[in-house]
Amino acid sequence: MTSKHVIAVTGVNKTYPLGRIRVRALSDVDLTIGRGELIALAGPSGSGKTTLLNLIGCIDKPDDGRIVVDDVDVTRVPLHRLSTLRRDTLGFIFQTFNLIPVLTAYENVEYPLLLQNLPRRERETRVRHWLREVGLEQQAKQRPDQLSGGQRQRVAIARAMVTEPKLVLADEPTANLDSETAARILDLLGEINTRTRCTFVFSTHDPSLIARAERVVRIRDGRIEQDTAVERLSA
Amino acid sequence: MIIKLALRNILRNRRRSAITLTVIVFGAVGLILFGGYKARTFYGLRESTINGRIGHMQIFKEGYSKSQSQKPLDRALDDAAAIRKEIERDPRVKMTAAQITLMGLISNGDKSETFIATAVEPPKERAMNSQRLTAGKELADNEADAVLIGKGLAESMHVKPGDYLTLMTTTTAGSLNAMDVRVAGIFMTGVKEFDERAVKMPIAGAQQLLQTTKIEKLLVFLKNTDDTAAVHRLITSRVHGIEIKEWSELAPFYHQVVALYNGIFGFLGIVVFAIVVFSVANTILMSVFERTREIGTLMAMGTTRGRLRAMFVAEGVGIGIIGGLLGLTIGVLLAMLINRGNVMLPPPPGYTVGYRLQIMMQPPVLITAFLVSFITATISSIVPALKASRLKIVDALGHI
Repeated sequence: MTSKHVIAVTGVNKTYPLGRIRVRALSDVDLTIGRGELIALAGPSGSGKTTLLNLIGCIDKPDDGRIVVDDVDVTRVPLHRLSTLRRDTLGFIFQTFNLIPVLTAYENVEYPLLLQNLPRRERETRVRHWLREVGLEQQAKQRPDQLSGGQRQRVAIARAMVTEPKLVLADEPTANLDSETAARILDLLGEINTRTRCTFVFSTHDPSLIARAERVVRIRDGRIEQDTAVERLSA
Repeated sequence: MIIKLALRNILRNRRRSAITLTVIVFGAVGLILFGGYKARTFYGLRESTINGRIGHMQIFKEGYSKSQSQKPLDRALDDAAAIRKEIERDPRVKMTAAQITLMGLISNGDKSETFIATAVEPPKERAMNSQRLTAGKELADNEADAVLIGKGLAESMHVKPGDYLTLMTTTTAGSLNAMDVRVAGIFMTGVKEFDERAVKMPIAGAQQLLQTTKIEKLLVFLKNTDDTAAVHRLITSRVHGIEIKEWSELAPFYHQVVALYNGIFGFLGIVVFAIVVFSVANTILMSVFERTREIGTLMAMGTTRGRLRAMFVAEGVGIGIIGGLLGLTIGVLLAMLINRGNVMLPPPPGYTVGYRLQIMMQPPVLITAFLVSFITATISSIVPALKASRLKIVDALGHI
């Protein structure tokens, strides 16, 4: 039996060492995220939004509390044992794109499917589909250094979506893009969310990105300050 | 994908990969050249020792090696002709040669020196071609009182071909006997100490001096050294009352040289191994450091630790294969160049004659050079691979 929530965060605390002291990044955070939601984690730099995203993305562990991702209590499993969950359930979009520089756009998008051991034909169909979706079919053979920032982020979006994940986590996805490119990327994310009903959680302090979210979770000093459902602007 | 990624990452920082490959190539070339030189030296030393001096086997009367007698030829072969006939039936046998060794005093009338003589059958001795004549002629077939003497001994005795010397020794009966001999020629083997004492004389002359008709031993020469053990077994089954010693028992010097060279080669191998390990490990560690964020991304996408380790080990394997193949190619080309170059080496210690530098390109040497390159490069990638796979994802993604 599956829950209606794809994410359930309960009583999570997280501290980081900073020299001899420990800095509290998250304090007693509770958050649930439903399937198909488009959520913005908003807040100033250092508020804890990236930390929360990392915990949800199973790439970091909380000090205490419980995090359930797609019905799996990930706080009970060592991170290196969560590679299958990350591979099959999650998609990541990074601020700095994080494409593999020695692989072409096609190969970057194909990589997660290779981890899933999908047959070649299936991989090809999916990669072509997602490159078409992000408008980069013609750039399939180009390497990241031959692409613009916007194109790289589109490849990263295609790579995140190609495994058809239940949840896509995007950390400041437009921070390294000019406003026009950022707007196009936001349009693209909105379209994909509407069409696929895949859950999108992104961290941002960009008002234009916040304005496109269905729900805005404001974080300050490691605590959830406000959790508001908003009417989504046109995609 | 792992292989594709490994190859592309090797090509990613071309200058660094080129430096690493150069180290591996140097190592492989060094192993090929020294290994080939060693193989050629062993082969040359073995064949010259066998064909010029001791034969593939020596046949003695049974109990010869345990005999404590001081008398010459006390354990002589009784029926050498019959034994010889039986041995020469085997088509693998090239020839047999009778020999007697004796010691005594050699004198020019004014001065005496000790000598060590090898009594030989002149036609067989010529076939062995064991020494280089520096003056005079080889022993004639039917001149019992002619001798060849070593260059050092000739200088000590102040003689030249045509001069006469006197040999004195104990007979088989225990009495003293002397014989005047004519110096037919002067030879050198290249071993200084030996050339200062050495005399070669015909069997007939030695038998006359020792007052006997017997011989001490039969040298057996084969067409192929690899047949030694098989022919040994066959002779043992056919001929009784004899004792057989193979060349390897009779050539302690050969084994000393082999042990020395193997020691040097082993040490060289360890040095090459260490250099390659550190060089490749350094390259891949640098690569891990530079690609930390990339590693974090790969892990975030679901790449397992094992797959990540495989990726970095594949880079080590790739560097090893490329470096090994390049090393093989360059090593073989250099060896061919050296072999054509007629490079002369100075005489080794104890020798008076230099020799030509030759590199023998034996498959085991080439395979060893390739495998050492390949295995060391692979081993040296293990630590960086482990380091990469143990990175914390969140730290790796935050790496600048």
